[in-house]
Amino acid sequence: MGHRVLVCDDAIFMRTMITDILSGAGYEVVGEAETGLQAIERYRALNPDLVTMDIVMPDMGGIDAVREIVKQDPNAKILMCSAMGQQALVVEAIQAGAKDFVVKPFQPSRVLEAVQRVLG
Amino acid sequence: MDVSRYADLFLSESREHLTAFNHLLLEWEREPAAREPVDGLFRAAHSLKGMAATMGYAAVAELAHRAENLLDLVRRGPAPVTPAQLDLLFRAADALERAVGAAVAGRDDAAPHAALVAELDAEVGRAAPAPAAARPAAPAVPAAGKGVAVRVTLSPDAVLKGARALLVLARAGALGAVQAVTPTPSEMEAEAFDGRFVFRLDTAAGPDRIEAALRAAGDVESVEVVDESAEAAPDAARGRHIRVDLRRLDELMNLIGELVIARGRLDALSARFAEPDLADVTHDIGRLSASLQGEILQARMVPVWQVFDRFPRMVRDLARQMQRQVAFRVEGKEIELDRAILDEIADPLVHLLRNAVDHGIEPAEERVARGKPAMGQLVLAAVRERASVAIRVSDDGRGIDRARVLHKAKELGLVADEVEQLSDDDALAHLIALAGFSTAEHVTDVSGRGVGIDAVTTTVRALGGSLEVKSEDGRGTVFTIRLPTTLAIVRALLARVGTETYALPLTHVAEMAESRRGEVQLVQGREILMLRGQAVPLVRLWERLGVPHAGPRPTSQPVIVLAMGERRSGVVVDALLGQQEIVVKPFEPPRGTTPVFSGATILGDGAPALILDAGGLI
Repeated sequence: MGHRVLVCDDAIFMRTMITDILSGAGYEVVGEAETGLQAIERYRALNPDLVTMDIVMPDMGGIDAVREIVKQDPNAKILMCSAMGQQALVVEAIQAGAKDFVVKPFQPSRVLEAVQRVLG
Repeated sequence: MDVSRYADLFLSESREHLTAFNHLLLEWEREPAAREPVDGLFRAAHSLKGMAATMGYAAVAELAHRAENLLDLVRRGPAPVTPAQLDLLFRAADALERAVGAAVAGRDDAAPHAALVAELDAEVGRAAPAPAAARPAAPAVPAAGKGVAVRVTLSPDAVLKGARALLVLARAGALGAVQAVTPTPSEMEAEAFDGRFVFRLDTAAGPDRIEAALRAAGDVESVEVVDESAEAAPDAARGRHIRVDLRRLDELMNLIGELVIARGRLDALSARFAEPDLADVTHDIGRLSASLQGEILQARMVPVWQVFDRFPRMVRDLARQMQRQVAFRVEGKEIELDRAILDEIADPLVHLLRNAVDHGIEPAEERVARGKPAMGQLVLAAVRERASVAIRVSDDGRGIDRARVLHKAKELGLVADEVEQLSDDDALAHLIALAGFSTAEHVTDVSGRGVGIDAVTTTVRALGGSLEVKSEDGRGTVFTIRLPTTLAIVRALLARVGTETYALPLTHVAEMAESRRGEVQLVQGREILMLRGQAVPLVRLWERLGVPHAGPRPTSQPVIVLAMGERRSGVVVDALLGQQEIVVKPFEPPRGTTPVFSGATILGDGAPALILDAGGLI
C-alpha cells in the first residue's frame, strides 16, 4: 500500500468522505483540490499515484482537468467520481483518459475496488 | 497511419455492407414490424461509418451516421417504420453508394448529400425531440474476419453499464484491435442497455488472458471468447476467406492455360516416342495439371447471388416507377459461375428484368380486366444443367406482341410480306435478337433505348452461351440464357474439315451421329437427318464457313448434334479428332462476318484452331 492520492471535489463533505475511505485502507491522501485548475496544479506539484476526480467542479470541470493532466502525463491514473445519470459525461471522461469510475452515493467497498483496479 | 492502401478493401467491404443494407430495407418494407432487418441495417450503417471514419472519408461517415441515427431511433421506438422513413433510407443507401465511390476516387464531398442529411435529421427530429449528441465513431479496423468474437456480460447490479462497457473495450483495446462492437457505444449509453455486448478482437492473446484482462475492468460477470471460425460456420460468406485481386486469378488462369497447352504437346511427344518412363511422367503431369486446373477453376467460381442480390431492389424501384405490382422471386442463388461470366451477365439480366417490368407485366387494372391476379410474378432462376448453367427470367405478363414483331420485321425487310403469322418461338427469338430491333413505341427511362435483345444476345454469344425465348400471348415470356460454367478452359470436340481443325465446346453438344448417304432426306430444300424419329437439320460446316472442300463425298460422314433448348442442328464434318481441353483465347471477329467463331485456341501440336460458336450453327 502506501500509494499517494490526490482528491479533487468541490464539496468538502465528499473530499472528507473519500479521504476517510482511502486512509482507512492504508492509502495516503497527499493533497486536495476544489477546482479543475487546482487539480492540474496540484497534480504537477505532487505527482500522485492516483487522482479521484469529481466531474462537475467550478473553474474548469473534471473532464477538462482529466484531458489536461493526461496531456502532461499520459500514464496518469484518474478515477472519476460521478453522480447517477451522468453516463454521457463519464463516457466522455473515459474517452479523455480516465481509467475507471465510481458512482455516488459511495459504497466504500466499491470505491476501494475501483482504486485497486486503477492502480492494478 | 497511411490508410490509402486500404482503399480497395474499403470499397469492396463497403459495397458488401450496402448490398446487405438494400436487402434488409426490402425485407423491412415487407415486414415493417420485424426486428431483424433493423438490427442488421443498424450494424451495416455503423460498420460503414466506422470504416469511412477510419479512412478519413468524412462525407461518407457523416451520411452513414445520419442513417444510423434514424435507424437507431426507429428501432428503439414503439412504432413500426413508416413508408416515408423507408424511402428516406432507400435514398440514403443510394447516396452512400455514390459517396463511397466518390470518396475512393478522391472526391469525398458532403455537398451533394447536404439535402438528404437535412431530411434525415428532420426525420430524426420529428421522431425524437432530443436526439443523443453525436459521438465520434469507434475506431474500426478495416480488416474483415480477423480475430475472435468476444461476448461480455456485465454484472446485473453494475451502474452506468455503458461507461463500464467502454472500460471493458479499453482493456480489450490494449490487447489488440477491437471492431464490430454490438450494440454500438452510443446504444450502450441508453437506459435500456442490459449489459451484454459482443465485439471482435484481433489479438494474439489466448482466451484466458483475454478473460482476465477484461474482468479487470470491473463489474464483469462473464467473458466468453468464441472461436471465430466455428461462429461463422453458418454464415458461409464469412469463414476463412482471403480476398484476392481478380487479376491475379486471371493471370494464374492464363499460366495454367499455357501449362495445359504444353501438356498437350508433351502428350503428343510421349505418344510418338513410346518410352515407358516418359509416358509415366507425362501421365503424372497430366494428372497434376488437371487438379491444378480444377482448383483454380473452383477458386474463380462465385455464387450467382453476388450479382443477383442487387436485383430485388432494382425491380422494386422499377415497379414503382412504372406503377406495376410485381412479386419478384430469385431462385438458385447458390449456383456458381465463373466470376468473369457472372460479371458479364449482369447487364443482360438487368436488361431482361427491365423489359419484363416495362413491357411484360401489365398495369394492375389491365391484369384484373384479363382475369389475372393484379400482382405480376417475375422470377429470376439459376439452374444447373449438365455442362452449363441456365438462367431464366420469366414473367406472367402479356407476352411478346408477335403481330408487332412481324410488322416491324416486314418494315425492315427481314420477313417476306406474305408471311401472315409468327408462331415459331425460334423465329421470334431470331428476329428480336437482330441489331436495332425494338418494338417499343416510345423511349422510356426504363427500356427501349434502341438497344434491345440484340445486346443481350451479343453478350451471351460472346460468352459461349445461348439465348432462348418462349412467349405465350397473354400468359407471359420466358428468356433462358445458357452459359458455360467457366470461360477460360472448356472441354471441346475437335473436328476436321478439309485440312483445318475446329473446336466445338461441349456446352451445346448433345451427341454424335453419322449421316449415311440415303438416310438424309430433303425437306423444303433443307437436308434433314432423322434421328430416333426426330428431324435434325444438317449444316455442312465447309459450306457454312465458306472453305474450299474438294474430293468425293464419302458414303458416311460424322455429324455433331448440337442442342440448344428444343432446337437441334447436325453439323457435318470430315472427321472427328476427339475431345480435348482447350484454352479459350478471346477472339474479335471482323465486323460484318457471320458470327460462327467465339474464339481461338492453340492445340497440343502448337497449331491454332478456331472455336466454333454453337449459337451461330443452330
